[in-house]
Amino acid sequence: MRRIIAIVLAVFLIGGVAAAVVAGREDQDSSTATKTVRGVIGSEKAEFFADPDVVKALAAKGYTVETETSGSWAMEGLDLKGYDFAFPSSQAPAGELASKYHVRQPLPRPFYSPLVVVAHRSAAEVLAGNGLATLAGKGGDKGNGTLDMKAYLKAAEGDRTWQQLKGADKHGELSGTLFISSTDPTSSNSGALYLAAASYVADGGRVADGAAAVDRTAPLMRKLISVQGSQQTSTDAAFRDFVSGVGNPLVLVYESQVAALLAGGQGADDLVVLYPDTTANSDHTVVPLTAEGRALGELLGTDKELRGLAVRHGFRPQGAAAEFTAATDAHTTYLNQTLTGVRQVPVPASKVLHEMARRARD
Amino acid sequence: MNLSVGRRSAGRWGSPRASGAERGGGWAQTTHRAAAAIALAALTAGCTSAVEGPDPAEKPAAGTLRILASSELVDMKPVLDQVHKDTGITVRPTYIGTLDAVDLLAKGRAKDAYDAVWLSSNDYLRLDPAAAKQVVSQTPVMSSPLAIGVKDATVRKLGWKPEDVTWADIEKAVRDGGLTYGMTDPSRSNSGFSTLVSVASGLSDAQSALTDADVKEATPRLTDFFKGQKLTSGSSGWLAEAYDRRGDVDALLNYESVLKSRKDLTVIRPRDGVVTADYPLSSLASTSQQVREDVRRLTEALRAPGTQRLITDRTLRRPVVPSVPPAAGLDTTRRRELPFPGSRSVADGLLDAYENKLRRPSRTVYVLDTSGSMGEDGRLGRLKKALTALTGDFREREEVTLMPFGSAVKSVRTHVVRPEDPRSGLDAIRRDTRALSAEGDTAIYTSLQKAYEHLGADDDTFTSIVLMTDGENTEGASPAEFDGFYGRLSADERRIPVFPILFGDSDRGELEHIAELTGGRLFDAQKGSLDGAFKEIRGYQ
Repeated sequence: MRRIIAIVLAVFLIGGVAAAVVAGREDQDSSTATKTVRGVIGSEKAEFFADPDVVKALAAKGYTVETETSGSWAMEGLDLKGYDFAFPSSQAPAGELASKYHVRQPLPRPFYSPLVVVAHRSAAEVLAGNGLATLAGKGGDKGNGTLDMKAYLKAAEGDRTWQQLKGADKHGELSGTLFISSTDPTSSNSGALYLAAASYVADGGRVADGAAAVDRTAPLMRKLISVQGSQQTSTDAAFRDFVSGVGNPLVLVYESQVAALLAGGQGADDLVVLYPDTTANSDHTVVPLTAEGRALGELLGTDKELRGLAVRHGFRPQGAAAEFTAATDAHTTYLNQTLTGVRQVPVPASKVLHEMARRARD
Repeated sequence: MNLSVGRRSAGRWGSPRASGAERGGGWAQTTHRAAAAIALAALTAGCTSAVEGPDPAEKPAAGTLRILASSELVDMKPVLDQVHKDTGITVRPTYIGTLDAVDLLAKGRAKDAYDAVWLSSNDYLRLDPAAAKQVVSQTPVMSSPLAIGVKDATVRKLGWKPEDVTWADIEKAVRDGGLTYGMTDPSRSNSGFSTLVSVASGLSDAQSALTDADVKEATPRLTDFFKGQKLTSGSSGWLAEAYDRRGDVDALLNYESVLKSRKDLTVIRPRDGVVTADYPLSSLASTSQQVREDVRRLTEALRAPGTQRLITDRTLRRPVVPSVPPAAGLDTTRRRELPFPGSRSVADGLLDAYENKLRRPSRTVYVLDTSGSMGEDGRLGRLKKALTALTGDFREREEVTLMPFGSAVKSVRTHVVRPEDPRSGLDAIRRDTRALSAEGDTAIYTSLQKAYEHLGADDDTFTSIVLMTDGENTEGASPAEFDGFYGRLSADERRIPVFPILFGDSDRGELEHIAELTGGRLFDAQKGSLDGAFKEIRGYQ
């Protein structure tokens, strides 16, 4: 018992971001037919597991799921004894966890979401006018587009300011160094994936594989992070700030956050979603620690109702592109449903990415 | 009523801090360091004061959330009343300054005593890993940018178009046009801290997050800028009162919501950027799932469109959900968000520079009752302890005069904390403090008159008088005579406030009158500690 308390506490101390949720507690009390499955999850999935419809769908399949949140990269530091599964938001930490706990491959990867940059229209248009982005639609009238990562990194390397870009002077808020806000890469997955994608581009299309590769891109990675000053520690908070109209005009978030906002019927005002032409996916990967954990992980990917609910929360189910497309048809203004023109890059091994993040924050 | 205020900390900004004496005689090593660093590092050790632990009445209770909160959130009462009706959740705030809150969290003193933290911003908190790991789920609830509120007539005189004004324009108006303003103390108040970061970012040529080098390079411009600061305060409330009383200060720097609530100011968000408070509500990591669920419900209720409308209409802060427009009169054009420093060393370095180099120095007379009655109940000992502790908090360039009195002023000893040798001035203050002895009657008003004569008119410093007395006036000038004396002072001298401290058997009415007459503020060391009162007054000096 004592150990469990320690674990739970550690989860909160280390990376907990969204309020923790005990899903389906009532079912647990009232039904003897359900199995209680406990897991540590990335914060961006907390709302999914808290959704009463998800709780109901899981209960119908005989599961009560209790979750605690943790930063995906912090899970490696936890003692996961007593848990049935871990559910980080990226393959790399999942792989590390799998080898640490001798988990049989393949790991269930029920859904994924690409990293995107949310921008206000003014900023997106200035980027487009200066060859840093392309906007979709006739005359760029749509709420999505593509960010040219090579051009962006070149601008970052040269300390390009908004003032140096044509058309920025029409918008008072566009001044100072041009940069994308990310979360802290040492603790949060999206910040780390930002470095994964940027280093891939900066190193001529190579995935960093060791110290030499980290060295080659370290100055630029450091620049990308240090210009930002204080960073949010969770993607959730970064996105909320953007939606609130507070903060930098360019913010790195998960596509699932945007899609969930749109699915919830919230107004998007002058939002433009820029898909980096080279980006990293957040592959939500289940690391089963028990047979029940594996069964749940499989269920999330195979059960049609649960897949539908995942889509409602903005995630793209693996191997079921049509379901995401159908569900988001009303929001094609903002979403690039087929990810046309977007290349997904592999993420460096956990150890390498950690080192890259550490050097960038130094 | 469901919004109750923590008893010992009600209506205060910074928490009364613990005595420096309790940290074991390390003052000599720390005195020359930044006032801010001292405030953070030294003054909380062995903390015994208000924010450390909950009252017995503030034990955890289902449906009640004990929240460490920025003091300006006192205006959220009607909103929280509504939320209580909707959700049954009661909020019990304990008001605290950002730096104090971060310190409390970092030292692990907030857990068990509080359930959640609700500051104007978590930017500073995030810079401290030990504090950051104590909180989870930071969700912004509303926002207000830092702004400058300028008298309409001054705006016309300067020929400003409010939407075009930059920080450089404000600096130029200070330098060339003699623009004057008031702001709160960055070491004690959230709004002051945001002001400092905004001004420093705006006036440095830094295009991205401030670095130590940027701060250094901008120092000459910042020094010029802070020459325009005529009012300092530990709280936004007193700042506004002092501003009204003086009448000749042109502007106030504070959050837009505070400035907009006045009708006499043109509120300008400089076009080159500001720092915005986003009031994130966060659970403490140490809380139970039930508490976190309550915090989540509270957050959700606060972010509901109906509540957001109420917030913006009542408090003039901006809503954070896109479906609710800001209250009428809040300009919706966008402003650049100035990046907040990315490291604690830059943030603390900036505070250090402000306190010890950039701001005008202060001159203070401590009028200290050392009459015979101070010999009772260990009062003199407490005074000595509190004063000695205070020496850890004096800033470089500060002039401190000790004026102990009994039947008359006993001595007038002035010391300056010289940047090249801060220790000798502080040592001298401690020496004089040790030498205090209790004897004689109580000549409050005669001694106050002496203090005014000592300070004289001085426009280059922040001048003020602290009056500590444990009894009623029994000797020398009468209250009426002092009123007459005060009335005959020059306009400049009348701007020197007296901050009386209620202690021992002193008469509240008498001291309240002195505070009111001189534009000061009464501090209570009968309920709180003498240490705490002295420390809190620092924000006003």
